[in-house]
Amino acid sequence: MTTQNQANAATAQHGFDRRTFLKSAAFVGGAAALPGCGILGSEPEYRKAGEYVLAKPEHVLYTTCLQCHVDCQVKAKVWDGALAKLTGNPYSPQNYLPHLPYETPLSEAVKADGKLCAKGQAGIQTYSDPYRLRRVLKRAGPRGSGRWKSISFDAFVDEVVKGGKLFAELGDDRHYPGFEELYALRDRAVAKALAEDAKKFAKGELTLEEFKKKHAAHLDALIDPEHPDLGPKNNGFVFDAGRIEHGRKELMKWFTHSSFGSQNAFEHTTICEQSHHIAYSEITHHKTHHLKPDLQHAEFVIFWGTGAFTANFGLTPMAEKVTCGKVSGRMKTAVVDPRLSNDAGKADWWLPVRPGTDGALALWMIRWMLENERYDARYLENANKAAAKADGEPTWTNATHLVKVVDGEGRALLTAAEAGVGTAEQLVVSRGGKLVAVDPHDEETPVEGDLLVRTKVADFEVKSAFQLLRDEAFSRTAEEYAELTGISPRIVAEVARELTSHGKRAGVELYRGPVQHTDGFYAGAAVITLNLLIGNPDWKGGLAKGGGHWHEFGGKPGNRYHFKKMHPAKFQCFGPRITREKARYEDFSLFREQGYPAKRPWYPFSGNVYQEIVPSFAQGYPYPGKILFLHKGTPALATPAGHKIIDMLRDPERVPLFIACDVVIGETSMYADYILPDLTYLERWGTPHVTPDVVTTTSKVRQPVAVPLTEEVTVDGEAMPLSLEAFILALAKKLGLPGFGKDAFGAGEHFHRPEDWFLRAVANIALGDKPGDAVPDASDEELALFRKARAHLPKSVFDEEKWKRAVAPDLWKKVVYVLNRGGRFAPHETGYDGKYMKKRLGAMFHLFLEDVAAQNNSISGKPFPGLPVYRGQFDASGKPLDAGGEYPLQLITYKEAFGGHSRTIGNYWTNHALQPENAVVISRRDAAKLGIEDGQPVRLVSPSNPEGKVDLGDGRVLDLVGRARVVEGMRPGVVAVSWHYGHWAYGSNDVVVDGQTIPGERRRAAGLCPNPAMMVDPVLGDVCLTDPVGASASFYDTPVALKPVSA
Amino acid sequence: MEQAGASLGKPRDTKGGRATRRELFARALAAAGGLSALALTREGLAKEPAILDRPDDWAPGNALERMRRDLERALAKPMEKRKWVMVIDLEKCIGCKACTVSCVAENNLPPGVVYRPVVEEERGEFPHVRKRFIPRPCMHCDNPPCTPVCPVGATWKRPDGIVAVDYDACIGCRYCLSACPYNARTADFGEFYTEGLAEGSEAFAGPRASGYETRPSFEYGKEWRRTPGSHASPMGNARKCQFCLHRIENHLLPACVTTCLGGATYFGDFNDPESLVHELVGSSRMMRLKEELGTEPSVFYLA
Repeated sequence: MTTQNQANAATAQHGFDRRTFLKSAAFVGGAAALPGCGILGSEPEYRKAGEYVLAKPEHVLYTTCLQCHVDCQVKAKVWDGALAKLTGNPYSPQNYLPHLPYETPLSEAVKADGKLCAKGQAGIQTYSDPYRLRRVLKRAGPRGSGRWKSISFDAFVDEVVKGGKLFAELGDDRHYPGFEELYALRDRAVAKALAEDAKKFAKGELTLEEFKKKHAAHLDALIDPEHPDLGPKNNGFVFDAGRIEHGRKELMKWFTHSSFGSQNAFEHTTICEQSHHIAYSEITHHKTHHLKPDLQHAEFVIFWGTGAFTANFGLTPMAEKVTCGKVSGRMKTAVVDPRLSNDAGKADWWLPVRPGTDGALALWMIRWMLENERYDARYLENANKAAAKADGEPTWTNATHLVKVVDGEGRALLTAAEAGVGTAEQLVVSRGGKLVAVDPHDEETPVEGDLLVRTKVADFEVKSAFQLLRDEAFSRTAEEYAELTGISPRIVAEVARELTSHGKRAGVELYRGPVQHTDGFYAGAAVITLNLLIGNPDWKGGLAKGGGHWHEFGGKPGNRYHFKKMHPAKFQCFGPRITREKARYEDFSLFREQGYPAKRPWYPFSGNVYQEIVPSFAQGYPYPGKILFLHKGTPALATPAGHKIIDMLRDPERVPLFIACDVVIGETSMYADYILPDLTYLERWGTPHVTPDVVTTTSKVRQPVAVPLTEEVTVDGEAMPLSLEAFILALAKKLGLPGFGKDAFGAGEHFHRPEDWFLRAVANIALGDKPGDAVPDASDEELALFRKARAHLPKSVFDEEKWKRAVAPDLWKKVVYVLNRGGRFAPHETGYDGKYMKKRLGAMFHLFLEDVAAQNNSISGKPFPGLPVYRGQFDASGKPLDAGGEYPLQLITYKEAFGGHSRTIGNYWTNHALQPENAVVISRRDAAKLGIEDGQPVRLVSPSNPEGKVDLGDGRVLDLVGRARVVEGMRPGVVAVSWHYGHWAYGSNDVVVDGQTIPGERRRAAGLCPNPAMMVDPVLGDVCLTDPVGASASFYDTPVALKPVSA
Repeated sequence: MEQAGASLGKPRDTKGGRATRRELFARALAAAGGLSALALTREGLAKEPAILDRPDDWAPGNALERMRRDLERALAKPMEKRKWVMVIDLEKCIGCKACTVSCVAENNLPPGVVYRPVVEEERGEFPHVRKRFIPRPCMHCDNPPCTPVCPVGATWKRPDGIVAVDYDACIGCRYCLSACPYNARTADFGEFYTEGLAEGSEAFAGPRASGYETRPSFEYGKEWRRTPGSHASPMGNARKCQFCLHRIENHLLPACVTTCLGGATYFGDFNDPESLVHELVGSSRMMRLKEELGTEPSVFYLA
């Protein structure tokens, strides 16, 4: 359009004189100065605002975010079929506090936009990414070559089911395994018999010969008939998921475990904060894996290696509770972080701890609290539930329980039988020098014990758990702690005093910072113990369990669909998981043969050991993997030293078939044989759970709100967009797996479409956990809005009749009521019960961790300590790590408030508009010492990566170079690089598809990913350093140097 | 090894610190284009043990709900009887930039156009360092330096306090950009974030994914559509924050206010003595940017 035409058109459109000449001239002339020609018109008449369709309920849908795992509730606004705006859902306490009453009409709620963070709002660009894949890609060159051809969905399913010479057209004569071949053991009864006898064989109760004789007909279904306890060939299928969440997670376990019979379905938790969860889990004896301070009422909170303003769980629900608390004068905060985070920059105290000494700092505070007698002795003396009840305490601890000490270390709890005061089930405390038997869970007879006990009972040297803790805390002087942690004694005293000055209304919050170390579990346990010393769990303003959720997968009396009982032919899986997690090495025949050290570590306490999946698969320990199915994850990018798996993935001998399910060709999926396009979170279903920060019961629903961008396909006559669900349905039906298709959930209960799974879960939410707890039916008006708001969705996504069919007829209107609000939310008033939290843990906390003390490190063969201890950082064999030497700086990472995962780099509103690249953040003192200037490019090098480079295997070499940012707010000796930049794929590089080059966009490659500089474990050589207990991947134990690069 | 750690008091704890802070803040902003100084004080020792029955902070309810009620009262009045103001509590701003992106999304802003940046500053020396974040929307000055310089009268101060731009009248000369002492105006150069990416392949979404960039912006109660290859307004125009006038008129608070994660941003009718903003403007912590210029901003800060 010419400028003249444009002006005329505009004039016609707007109906008044627009001073056409000047406008056109200015546009053509750009910034050219105009004469002050004095055409200063009169002030235009004020025009009333026109129709703003985004504020109409028929343009609004509620769903759940997935730009991070906080899973905020989202209000999605649609304009003319296009997703126009994402904001927070005011029905949800996570995004609007106090939130709107659940019964608020949709027409009213539309006027209240809730809060949503920058990355949440930029989620439109995760969905609307031009590099989104629409069709299945099959590689048209060697793995990682960047050459692809698009193939039909049907051909893809056919090829991966059958396997064979799948790449013969590339001159590759190799046989690729298919699902059909891995689904070797099919008969459920046989599987059960094999599983039982394999266990007996492992225990030595059955010889190999006996096993072989008994099961001669089925030995070929086993991975290794010489080691039947490794399980069936089915275990060769490994589902490796990054950020999968509830809804899909249960679906993939249903598929992998119950239907296909493989043990191997994983998530990515160990690269997040798993050791923190395992610490909570062991301390509460598996009652919970996550507690959070009640930020609405706490008067003092220490944020330890985390905060409320950038990441965690997460800034949207947490930030205002802190800012309001601080400005009103209710709350003070301290932040432990080597870097001045936004939280630290606003805190009352900043403790820039030396990375990797968090456990020591916590023990130092414990020492101070004990020395100054500032701990809640009344709480800690309660040895059982009855004693706690008598004091009005919802929880209690084993602080007074006596522990047998061997070689100075607590090894096991003393039983009353051993002490001669009771039974083998009872434990023992000492009260006034007298031994007393105690059942910790007894609600009737209160037993209290002395805290500091050191004595001999029978032949045992014993100490109370509290004494053991005291001895550990006092094993270093304040001066030694100060030297170790780099924190001044005055600050530690101030912070510890503050923590102990608010009764129960104080708490210590931890997340990644202290635990993504090799001693993560112990550091986490030490930090959690600070809470126990003030006895704050379950108290208003103390440590909270959170409001939890209604149980969408059943198991509660009110539910209609009990998924656990619905599978028509559940497979009895057996054998260790390929990551050897949740398993004791000593329970398998491999241990009998090989003993210590194990070839790779076993993880008896932890799960979802993400960094171990591909290296174990490729190395074939404990058995070789056959089909790797990667979903919504990118271990090569996201794992410390994750680049080490590139060579493994590129080698079909070690990774025989590699299928990836991704939204864009990512840093790891680029090495796959096939890429299955997935839907983004805005086009699909889910039922994510809520963080303990939210104290009222909250069930979230993720549902399709945007028109799917993937190709539409047909699965057994049902049209649906390409997605994980489409593939799983097609695969299961082709293999004839029970639990899918006709009668999948029982007679007359079919599973043909994604909503057949998810809407049953929504129905459970609508019904609630208890009978009579159901939501109201949607009114006719709400049903009409429900339809109108989905008018833009294709029939393959929204077909009301099909959705209706997924649940029993009496449930449909209740399901609509929940979908219309994006979930279910209990009223604001239900969070508290007087001075307590309403939802309480009511459990015993374990200062002495007898389960942990009972297991051995599978490499060293030595037992794990059963207490929060500080022993420094170490490799897989327990050997202390070398000092930095020529690598004088310590590397840490952090997240930007507006970024933070591997799929946000196409979010131009944040990455381009706010900050195009990240930096190597360094303290001014270090910069001066090293002669590094602000903005100068520097190369990140480490003992594991002395060149500061990554060979991507496709002819490209990635340089670990970023620009220095010189700041005051950084502990000298530490450098920080944020995580979510530094992509080498994900639309940043050229690829060839169907012979056509699709140019990458270099903006998406900006900045630096710090992970390839991180330490490789010196014992294992192919994986990062790892916490042997919590299994967290170490992100913060790498010494680095910065090499200036000439620009 | 050096032993560090900082106990950092809040400025309000310093006796008589307010005047100094305001002065420093204004001076620093004038000098650095948006950076403030900050007084550091030592925090006193721990306070007395907790009073367990203190009132619930959340009992008064949701500040956004209160502002929604304020908004309804204001909209019931004739336009010229309202005076829209914004209050930003810098103690509560956490630097998350949700407001910046919310504004970009609400107004569908292209590359290079940002209405509400958040300026970050770090003050002090290790370990006594603090951070401050300063959101900087259009100040909607009562004496706006930007309006008199417009050669075509395309920008003016409305009776309700909003400084508006008529995109149809704007000729894109950018005099107003230079005149604004707060750098609150930016030019729309007609760029797009995704234009031309991953085009021409059935395997990629390509232009199918551009819906959000070509949907209209509803600024000033009209539909403004930007499409690649066209030069229609607001491309070529000066653009800036308009307090989300189109949302206000439709009974919604401005986008930045509703999404402010720290709860730092307040909006309402200053002419209503019952309104939350009226209350907050009376705070002892109140200040405005570059007061000395006499621009009389409608955006107030609590420092």
